[in-house]
Amino acid sequence: MTAAAAGLWRLINGREDIGRTPWFWGPALAVIAVFALLPLEATEFEAYNVAYYLLNVPMALGLSLLWGYSGVLSFGQVAYFGIAGYTYGVVAGNLAPSPWAPVIGSAAGLALAAAVGAVFGYFVFYGRVQAWIIPILTLVFTLLLETFLGQTAGYQWRIGHVQLGGYNGMTGIPSFQLGHLIFSGYAFYYLALVITLVTYFGCRILANAHAGKVLLAIREDVLRTELLGYDIRLHQLGVFVLAAVLAGLSGLLYVQWGNYITPSQLGLVPAALPVIWVAIGGRERLLAVVIATYVLNWINYSLSGAGNEYAPVVMGALLLGVMLFFPRGIIVTLSSGWRPNARKGAAKRDAVFDENGR
Amino acid sequence: MNTVGLIASILYQFGTNAAFLLIAAIGLIVILGMMNIINLAHGELMMMGAYTATIAFHRGVPFPLAIILGFVVVAIFGAILERLVVRRFYGRELGALVVTWGISLIMGQGTLILFGPFMPAIGIPGGSFAIGGYSFSVYWIILMVVSAAIVIALWWVYNRTAFGLMARATMQNPAMALALGVNTDLVYMLTFALGAGLAGASGALLAPTTSIAPLMGQQFVAPAFITVVVGGGANVLAGAVGSSLLLSIVKTPVGLLLGAFLGTVALLLAALIVIRLMPDGISAQLQRLAERRSGL
Repeated sequence: MTAAAAGLWRLINGREDIGRTPWFWGPALAVIAVFALLPLEATEFEAYNVAYYLLNVPMALGLSLLWGYSGVLSFGQVAYFGIAGYTYGVVAGNLAPSPWAPVIGSAAGLALAAAVGAVFGYFVFYGRVQAWIIPILTLVFTLLLETFLGQTAGYQWRIGHVQLGGYNGMTGIPSFQLGHLIFSGYAFYYLALVITLVTYFGCRILANAHAGKVLLAIREDVLRTELLGYDIRLHQLGVFVLAAVLAGLSGLLYVQWGNYITPSQLGLVPAALPVIWVAIGGRERLLAVVIATYVLNWINYSLSGAGNEYAPVVMGALLLGVMLFFPRGIIVTLSSGWRPNARKGAAKRDAVFDENGR
Repeated sequence: MNTVGLIASILYQFGTNAAFLLIAAIGLIVILGMMNIINLAHGELMMMGAYTATIAFHRGVPFPLAIILGFVVVAIFGAILERLVVRRFYGRELGALVVTWGISLIMGQGTLILFGPFMPAIGIPGGSFAIGGYSFSVYWIILMVVSAAIVIALWWVYNRTAFGLMARATMQNPAMALALGVNTDLVYMLTFALGAGLAGASGALLAPTTSIAPLMGQQFVAPAFITVVVGGGANVLAGAVGSSLLLSIVKTPVGLLLGAFLGTVALLLAALIVIRLMPDGISAQLQRLAERRSGL
């Protein structure tokens, strides 16, 4: 038992993320405690807003695993977000009176996101395409999905008794429910918090586990990893499907949070947002991505009241600036600058980083 | 007589689809083939060309001149963009993709803020004629001719001019080209400017066929990217021509029978199948075929 616990701790506290000393874990536990106790102080409305900043974290973590840890870039994570959200709306909406409808709907949403990700991934990874093709095709896929859902207005676009709703989107999507416990208000906040923490630590364990090391090896040198006997196509497909499921998880939380979804959630600007969060935080470190996602969603939400039309310009400028001046991400650059002895190592790694073209 | 009209109509549909794909993708393909960079701001560069041509046209500039103006303005913008931003991302494909996406967001929304959501359109010039009960637009026939002319002009530039020779040398082996005195930096900048200018001219050419709006670039993004993915970067012209013809064969029947949206979906499915069979695109396949023929 203690051996298993020690093994798990080694995986959680491995090399592939920021923060391994008590100086990190102390404040980290304090932050988690603040989030856990937040409903004591915050109103239900404020807790709902915080839940909104949290619910995008799984999608960002998936993109970080895919792009930062595996070197595969996707511009279409919102497609899986939308697939899971819409599927949940259709399935749970149709089974609505049953208390288990949301559970079945969630399972269906995640399963469909995984299935679409697997089919798409099969074609690109087993075709061994060049690196630039995957972001392009995922983006095209997202845009087509948005166009398709946008034209589903009208009575004939109805699955069971749920309307897809065209550009106005799908409304009246049921909240999550376990038996007779309906997750709304503070309960939804805790649902979002628990899922965020579980996905974060799950991704951290994966990154430090053997499979994570193989992904890093593929990122660094595809040919060498393959010659060591690993099936790179299978590993890439696996992480692609995992990222699709994580994006789907965010999609589920989103529709359970707001009880609606529109095709514009799958548009060009929403598709850019996960890439922006991950690039700004630093795609190679999960914790940096979590912090950046939370903070940027918070900023975006606070700004959206005033001058909404400038939001894409600001986001685009942020992305441009970070790519030009902090190619590894702001939080990752700061965190490697904090340790004086690590400076030289970080500079050296930056050089390698550029050489590898990522 | 009606069969003649039907055949002419099908050929016309096929030709318009191929010309559209070629025109939408040519600037992107020139940049990809040369520098292995995908310019995600391509749609916005087309939008910029369309805006330039439209504004000039409404000020009384003749339409053909307005198209050339679209080319020049966007080419200069492309050269500046290359100097300031794109230059830092050579050899980092994914970084280049992300940074050009940032540029695309700024350009799209920036245009909306500066020019507002609408712009008076340009009517389709040239009128139409009829064969056997089917009517055809003269302008689309001109576009087919123009797309062929662009291909021939590019072939001439790459194979018959000093710039083309230097560009091909840089493409094959940048270090060796640099050692032999080719100013590769200048070649890269001119190539990016050429690709951007072609995108601008394409936007201007297609401007009469669509509505002029800040986010109009988005409608070209999907078909242009699919054409590039299918074509590949191994040989710019073979890829562009082969890919737009093949995709037009896929899109024409599906589009005619099932509508424009499913036509585009068919393009995506075709692209997925093509990359599964020939991951480096049609151009690499054609090149291999040509090499086998010549016994290399």
